[in-house]
Formats: sequence, C-alpha cells, structure tokens
Amino acid sequence: MIDDDVKALALGLTRRDPDLLDRLIEQYQYRLFRYLIHLTGDREHAEDFFQETWVRVLERGHQYNAKWKFEAWLFTIARNLVFDWRRKKKPQSLDELMAPSEGAAGFEPSTPPEESPLQWAVQQQSESAVQASLGRVPVVFREVLVLRFQEELSLEEIASVTSTPISTVKSRLYRGLEALRKLLPEERA
Amino acid sequence: MTEDAHARAKQLIDEERVAGNLADADRAWLAKHLRGCGACVRVAGETERAVASLRAATIEFPRNLASRTQLRVRLRADELQEHSAGKKLLWAVSGVSWVLGVASAPWVWRGFAWIGEHAGVPKPLWAMGFVLWWAIPALFAAGAILAGRKSEFEPDSD
Repeated sequence: MIDDDVKALALGLTRRDPDLLDRLIEQYQYRLFRYLIHLTGDREHAEDFFQETWVRVLERGHQYNAKWKFEAWLFTIARNLVFDWRRKKKPQSLDELMAPSEGAAGFEPSTPPEESPLQWAVQQQSESAVQASLGRVPVVFREVLVLRFQEELSLEEIASVTSTPISTVKSRLYRGLEALRKLLPEERA
Repeated sequence: MTEDAHARAKQLIDEERVAGNLADADRAWLAKHLRGCGACVRVAGETERAVASLRAATIEFPRNLASRTQLRVRLRADELQEHSAGKKLLWAVSGVSWVLGVASAPWVWRGFAWIGEHAGVPKPLWAMGFVLWWAIPALFAAGAILAGRKSEFEPDSD
C-alpha cells in the first residue's frame, strides 16, 4: 500500500501534476519552512527559497526516486539551492559562511496552550531563550540537529541530505548537542 | 571515578540520543555510572532538555506563503507544458523534414550535379554544397532543441 503511494507520488512528479504539487506544498509547508529558517537564518530568504524549492521540485520531479523518502529529497533540493546561492554571493569557504548570523533565530512565540497566564508567560520566556540558544549554534551543527530531532530523519537520510558520511553526521550531532547544552540557559528550580 | 569514565558516560548519553539505542552492555554500564555520578546525571538532564527544546521549538508560518507558492508552481507548470508542446512540434517537423530529405536526396544530388556542370563548378565543391543543403536544417533543429532544453531548467531569478 505504502509502496503504491510512493510509486503514485513518483509518477505524479514525473508528470508534473499540479494538483499533486498543491497537496505536497500543503503537507510539507511547515517542515520545509522550518528547515529553511534554520539553514538561512532569516525569514525573508527562507520564503524565497521555499518558493524556489517547490518550483525545482516541479522541474526535477522526474529525478525523484521512489526509493527515497520524499522529505529527504525535498530537503536536499532546498539545501542545494541555499548552498548554491551562498557560493554565488560569497565565494568564501562554506565553513566560514556557516557561522550563525546575528538575530538568526527567526522564531515566533507559539500560541498559548491551555494553562494559567503565569505558566504560559514562564513557558514563553523559556522557549524564546531556547530559540535564541539554538540560533547561536553554528549552522553546520544546527542543521543536523534540526533534521534529527525535529524532522526525525534517520542518520542515513541526514547523510544523504547533507551529502556527508554517516560518521560526519554523528560527529556534527555530538558537537551540536554539546554546543546546545552549553548555550541553554540554566534551569531554575 | 576517572575522567575516562565520565567521558565514556557523556559519549554514551549522546549516542543514545543520536543513534536512538545502545548495546545492552553499554546501557547497563551507563545506568550503573549514573547511579553514582551527579555530574553525569546533570549532563544527561541537560541533554534531555536540549532535545526536548528542539522538539518543542515552533515557528510562525508566513501568511499566504503556501498559496503564493502554489500559484507560482502552477504558472511554471503551464510554462513547461507550453515548452513541451513546442518541443514535440519541433521533433515532428524535424522528423518529417528528415524523411523528405532522404526521399528527395537522389533528385537533389542530380540537381546539384546539373548546376555544377553548367556553371563549371568542380565536383568536390558542388558535392559539399549538397552536404550543407542536407545538414544545415538538421543542425538548426538540433540547436533549437538544445537551447529549449537549457532554458527549461534555467532559474527564473538569481
């Protein structure tokens, strides 16, 4: 059944079916945008790359292989676009470009859950501190943290998205966790 | 406890999060170590909190971005559709022209020979003219197809 769905997806992408694309955009909008926010560090560029990624999905749909998880392929396209753009903009080493930019968090407060205003305020304060901490983690580590713990991709899938060996993905995750641990504000009792 | 033991504990705490599992022996060793090491318990807690924070992080999705994207994708799909129709037509015209070219080649060859004879043009020269007459339309068609293929995948903007 799942196999059939994936095959239908591959076929629809090959045929450039606009209705299928509409559904995919709706289904993956949040996850793709969240990934792009973390990758680019600002909302404006994330919006541009969001649109560009979907146009590229339409154009390159015939290259989608039903063996891949769609989101891994989607993130790979988005990542390649961002990196190509960075290479064109600044012909420096990518490691330098991966330094996190100021105010890069790009997060908005979440909607209030059902709890007391005081609890909610404390939660908000704590969340924005977390977001700020995450924004200070270098992009090279932040990217894999996001793919692993927000997008729940496997190590193999992350390796495929980032075009790096699994050992490098693991090492980046360890260093990312270490960086995040250091940056997270102390928990108050 | 030695520094090595703390380092190993930290490594295993991270590995459990990153890989999602630990070997039974490692798990047992870590549990035993954590029972007697406050510093590593704190590291485990911080790791747990870091991962939980990542999972809980939310962003606001821009209003209308999805619908704007859907519109842009549809417009691009229409463009590609037109491109594709034009390309099919070009292939059809090229095919017909090739068939006609092959079918008419003997007569054209005689025509070139007749002109060459009457104009006093050496045979290699009028033979070359015949080859060009035959090849140029195909080269134009190939050029148009390649140009179409290139523009199809060029991004709209930088």
